[in-house]
Amino acid sequence: MEEKLVDLSDLGLSEEELFSSIPMDAASMEKITAPRYSYWQSVFRVFFRKKINYVVLGALLLVFIFAYIYPSVHGYDEYINILDTSANHLTPQKAFEKFGFNISWIFGTGNAGQSTFDAIWYGARISITLAAICAAINLTIGVLLGCVWGFSKRVDVVMNEVRNIVGNVPSTLIISVLVLVFSASFWTLVFAMCITGWIGVAYSIRTQVIIIRDREYNLASKCLGTSTFKIAIRNILPFMTSFIVTMAATEIPGYISTEVFLSYIGLGINDTTLGKLIYNAQSAMVTPGWQWEFWSPVMLSAFISIVLFVVGQNIGDAADPRTHNI
Amino acid sequence: MVKYFFKRLFRGLLSVIAVVAIIMLLVYGLMDRTLIFNMDENYAKLGNNTKIAYRYQKWDEYGYLTYVTYSSWLNSLLEAGEIDEDTYNAVATIGRTAEDDSEETAYYIQQFYDYYDSQGYKVVRLDAKMTTATKVANGGAARYFAYKNKSLVSRVVTYFTSLLSFDDIHYVDEDVDIGERGLTFTLYDPAYGGEKFAPAILGNGTQHKYLLYFSSEFPYIHQNFVTLTLGESYSVNTGVDVFKTMVQKQGSYVTSTVYYPTGYVEESADDVHTATYVEGSLALSTLYQERYTDDYTNVELSKSAMSKMAYSFICGIFASLLAYAIGLPLGVLMARKKDTWVDSLGNAYIVFMIAVPSLAYIFMFKAISGALGLPTTFTINNISAIMFVAPILSMAIGSIAGRMKWMRRYMVDQLNSDYVKFARACGTSESDIYIKHIFKNAAIPITHGIPGTILGALGGSIITERVYSIPGVGGMLVQAITYYDNSVIVGVALFYGIISIVAAILGDILMAVMDPRINYTTKAR
Repeated sequence: MEEKLVDLSDLGLSEEELFSSIPMDAASMEKITAPRYSYWQSVFRVFFRKKINYVVLGALLLVFIFAYIYPSVHGYDEYINILDTSANHLTPQKAFEKFGFNISWIFGTGNAGQSTFDAIWYGARISITLAAICAAINLTIGVLLGCVWGFSKRVDVVMNEVRNIVGNVPSTLIISVLVLVFSASFWTLVFAMCITGWIGVAYSIRTQVIIIRDREYNLASKCLGTSTFKIAIRNILPFMTSFIVTMAATEIPGYISTEVFLSYIGLGINDTTLGKLIYNAQSAMVTPGWQWEFWSPVMLSAFISIVLFVVGQNIGDAADPRTHNI
Repeated sequence: MVKYFFKRLFRGLLSVIAVVAIIMLLVYGLMDRTLIFNMDENYAKLGNNTKIAYRYQKWDEYGYLTYVTYSSWLNSLLEAGEIDEDTYNAVATIGRTAEDDSEETAYYIQQFYDYYDSQGYKVVRLDAKMTTATKVANGGAARYFAYKNKSLVSRVVTYFTSLLSFDDIHYVDEDVDIGERGLTFTLYDPAYGGEKFAPAILGNGTQHKYLLYFSSEFPYIHQNFVTLTLGESYSVNTGVDVFKTMVQKQGSYVTSTVYYPTGYVEESADDVHTATYVEGSLALSTLYQERYTDDYTNVELSKSAMSKMAYSFICGIFASLLAYAIGLPLGVLMARKKDTWVDSLGNAYIVFMIAVPSLAYIFMFKAISGALGLPTTFTINNISAIMFVAPILSMAIGSIAGRMKWMRRYMVDQLNSDYVKFARACGTSESDIYIKHIFKNAAIPITHGIPGTILGALGGSIITERVYSIPGVGGMLVQAITYYDNSVIVGVALFYGIISIVAAILGDILMAVMDPRINYTTKAR
């Protein structure tokens, strides 16, 4: 193909219109041209590249709407049908026959004629809040202390001993004893799960810090006179974002699981939680026609845990800069 | 190397002491101490001052405080010869209120007060509770006593010093004439009729009659020289030590032909091997005189079912065997078929097991096995092998996921190593690379957990044992917590602590044995 060149003299423009002079700029000469890169933008780009993530995010949104908005709009009264014995332990069909079709009755009724559907969402709110608060506290303390632990050799000696001591007792034991000692309430449970929970987080962070801290780029940074604090915040912490997010993803289902377990052994809080519902419906599991009461909270806690876990894992994957391939 | 592990063991023991101290501080210091009476039927029946006195007496027994009553103090004075019998009788009964005391009684009451108050005790006088002006209410008699709370340090010290007790021939009070003290070795255990070959060591003057003997029950050789005492239970298994509760047999009594020391033979549940010394017991009962020749009359009864620890261990060990046998090959397979549907399927399973609360999948599994016709509850008096199937499988499904996850992780981490590339370049077949090279290296961190799984099986599993009502160790902690049985909580904590320390050390040793590159003596960078 014959190339078609434009003869500048044909355009009839003056030299000034065609060219402009740029003054020499020492600062811009130092800049290296690189593709535009924004960390968080890349994280979202990689995250939404997987179509499954739209589904799990949708599911997560649904869980939040039902757990946080639905109970406050619709209201939940455990004793609404307490005087009507014919309303107890109904299967969904029977509940529809008795009360007419309503979203509240799609999982039937419980032992006092209350709606199972409303109960599980009311319980889910407390369980999710508990898990989220515990995860937030443990991750904050764990990450900060873990960084210090990894950097300072003196702290390392002390903290290893602390970990030896606390790690030797099953956490179940510590949590149970604490709940036993300070009667079971929401904040007691938070306290019990956080008092030793951060050690595990801090220890994993410490291991990661030790792996990364002596890498060449950090040595170089140190030689250039960067303070340890700045190295920790700017050089190491971003490296661990994906690790921390992945950890959060396993922590939250872990707390829900612990809460369910505590309620099952009779140490849970006195409010309606998923664990409490499972505990109360133990006998219903083996009674024909009552199984809805047991399986609904079990399945919901499994669902919430899986959704949170998958979202966390995928954000964790996306947060790893090595997956951003620009 | 040996020095290193002794150091580790020593530090581990220190941390166990710290753990016990923390747990003691929590349960004895912070918990409402009247809660321990929740399960006590005697306590509920008592009223008024008797109830208060009973409370202090029990607190004394279970290590909360030291409790001295006025009458026991007078008794000690009487024994020491400081007062005579007449004075004792005159001052032993205290008045309904302080004003009702006779002058002499008031003197001794003041003495009691001065003596214990100076030692930091708190002296309490409970006035009589009256129904009418002259009639004392039921259990309302006046009480006078002193008590002093035990400090944490003294409690921890007493606990650890009484942890191991050694039986010797001076156990029985030296003033009691029991014939020649000593140990006798016999090749023909009299408990088997004296004809069967069964070596045994018998003691006289010791607490236990049999110090070493053989029996047909696991672990076949039994000893009573050293007894482990983890703490006496208040309500879980009243009056019995925690460790004994874990290892003693359960279920209904079984009778067998028993040969008593007198030569008397009878079908009975008595287990003569467990005989312990009770002073003066022989003279009290003709039943004993017919059977025993000395005061070693306190025997335990044989029971049909295994101990709590045995049930936990059987379930735990088979579940871990299954977990390793299934989880490791699957993990290897996932690593080999990385990024194929096999890997994704395996990952989906792992995610499911991590995310779903363990209680939920155990219940799910229970429902499934119930539908398949497997027995889902334990009946202790009619144990059959099939009862173990469902609990073992439901314990295994969780740990299989764990094994798969780590095996895959370690294998994948090795995939890009230089030695793998080298082996491949040499033309080694893929399966040889995986089995002979990668697996060997990837298995090293896996071996670290093996002692932990074996010893952990002794401790049982809280959820599974409860769901399937297995009479195992795992339920003890929960039971202790619901019954507010503090000594059991402390004892179980110590038990778990020791298990995890020993397991960690054994894991390190095993890892060093498996991998000669690992050396604990040279200092890390």
